[in-house]
Amino acid sequence: MNIRRHPVSAALAALVIAFLWLPLIAVMVNSFNRDSIMASWGGATSKWYGQALRDHDVREGLKATLIIAIASALVSLAVGVSGALWWRRAPKRARAVYDGLVYARIIVPEVVFATAVFFLFVRFHFRLGLTAIIIGHSVWNSAYATLIVQARLVGLDPSIEEAAADLGATPWRVFRRVTLSSLMPAIVAAGLLAFTFSFDDVVTSYFLQGTAQSPLPIVLFGLIRFRLTPEVNAIGVLVMVFTVALMSLAVTIFATAGRIGRSERSAGFLDMYRR
Amino acid sequence: MRFVRQHLLVVPTAVLTVVFFVVPLGLIAVYSFGSINPVSLDVFFGWTTNNYRAFDSSLYLHSLLRSIFLSVGATAICAVLGFALAYFISRQPPRAQRLLLVAVIVPFWTSFIVRTYSWVDLLQNLGPIDRLAGATGLTSGNLSILYTPTAIAIGIVYSYLPLMVLPIYVSLERIDVSIYSAAADLGATPWRQFRKVVLPLAMPGVIAGSIIVGIPALGEYVIPEILGGGKTLMLGNILADQFQTTGNYPFGSALAVTLMGILLIMLLILRRRAPLQEPAA
Repeated sequence: MNIRRHPVSAALAALVIAFLWLPLIAVMVNSFNRDSIMASWGGATSKWYGQALRDHDVREGLKATLIIAIASALVSLAVGVSGALWWRRAPKRARAVYDGLVYARIIVPEVVFATAVFFLFVRFHFRLGLTAIIIGHSVWNSAYATLIVQARLVGLDPSIEEAAADLGATPWRVFRRVTLSSLMPAIVAAGLLAFTFSFDDVVTSYFLQGTAQSPLPIVLFGLIRFRLTPEVNAIGVLVMVFTVALMSLAVTIFATAGRIGRSERSAGFLDMYRR
Repeated sequence: MRFVRQHLLVVPTAVLTVVFFVVPLGLIAVYSFGSINPVSLDVFFGWTTNNYRAFDSSLYLHSLLRSIFLSVGATAICAVLGFALAYFISRQPPRAQRLLLVAVIVPFWTSFIVRTYSWVDLLQNLGPIDRLAGATGLTSGNLSILYTPTAIAIGIVYSYLPLMVLPIYVSLERIDVSIYSAAADLGATPWRQFRKVVLPLAMPGVIAGSIIVGIPALGEYVIPEILGGGKTLMLGNILADQFQTTGNYPFGSALAVTLMGILLIMLLILRRRAPLQEPAA
């Protein structure tokens, strides 16, 4: 049974890959389509890109998105890394509670989480806005960050740290030169991942934005609910290029960090997915 | 003092998780049994189950059943398509495997809104799919898929398919190839090899994939909003409306608790089929 050349299996696989790519190719092609209702090909133009880049809402939305994504990535790292370091030396029961809450933050549907936090803010008269969005994103982002760092901590042999201490390094120096430096790839990957998730988020931002400037995905969400516009395709392509570049960077750093076994790498690789 | 220093590191996580995750979820669980004054919008606690009675009304019951049907159906389609692709990929030489995996993942990395929106372009009347169907004589007149449950199902399958391919690929890739030859040498037909050898070994991947696809699909909000055109609603949309526009928090809370309940049942069913392989650690 030589499946490698099995025609039915190959044809099926090709169809599924085509299914995954055709819509994206359609977006790319239409972003250059001169015909503004995209009913047919009206010749090539780059004017939609110009229009997208000049659009006030889009620019302000992008600014808000960048602030939220950077802040939430930093908060998630602080929370996720400190939590993972605590987890490493925590008693067994406490570890189980910690792990349970990490998985719960990932598994609770976002619409339930977002409405619940929205309700908390409204009920206790906290202010909705950028800070609220940053906090909301950090709740699920820190769960992913901690998972990635944990995966790396498991592979870190404590005897290296003990050796450094035996050789006279102060605890702070051991932490900085051994622990932190070997966690670095995981920290960078987790930070980039958190940034990307936050950058792409719709539901949590939608509920927690209040009257503040909408982040870019919400601006896009608003645009496409009214009408089809080629400008959205252009913004989509720009966002696509940006996100793919960032995610590739995150995975490359995480996967080439070495000292991670083959099976662990596959598991870590899968942690990178959500929703 | 030692105790304090040892547990100082967990404080940020504990504060964030308790205040902004445990408390809000607990709050809606409590509010789901409250009642609301329709004029002043004040909430009273009478420990009423009225909010859950709304499912007697066919509107809500239908959207509940539709959500379950759409998420289970889309997950099943994802499992079939995902298995076909993952199986093919796992049988390729290593270089081709890596290339194909990238081809699966990159669409997943593109903006969620744009991915969903791309189907509006494709599915609208006079769009490419409509024209193709007309030209090949499959339909007379328009296809009119956009803004129907079918469009939502396509959107869910499309958005979540990569999440199904990856875990199945991981479980298939671990299988030692010689196990196939062994089965063949012992006289198993290709179909029997598939059913008795490949499928059981791939099951943990299928279960893991079904969990990561089925759960977000059940609470989906964005896809029905865009591809359902606000007409075909899933539970997530009705829930969101209670908080965003109607302001009926107790009823919205009851919907959220119901959603969580269904989710737990689905999780338990899936976990009984095969132990959940927890990634990492």
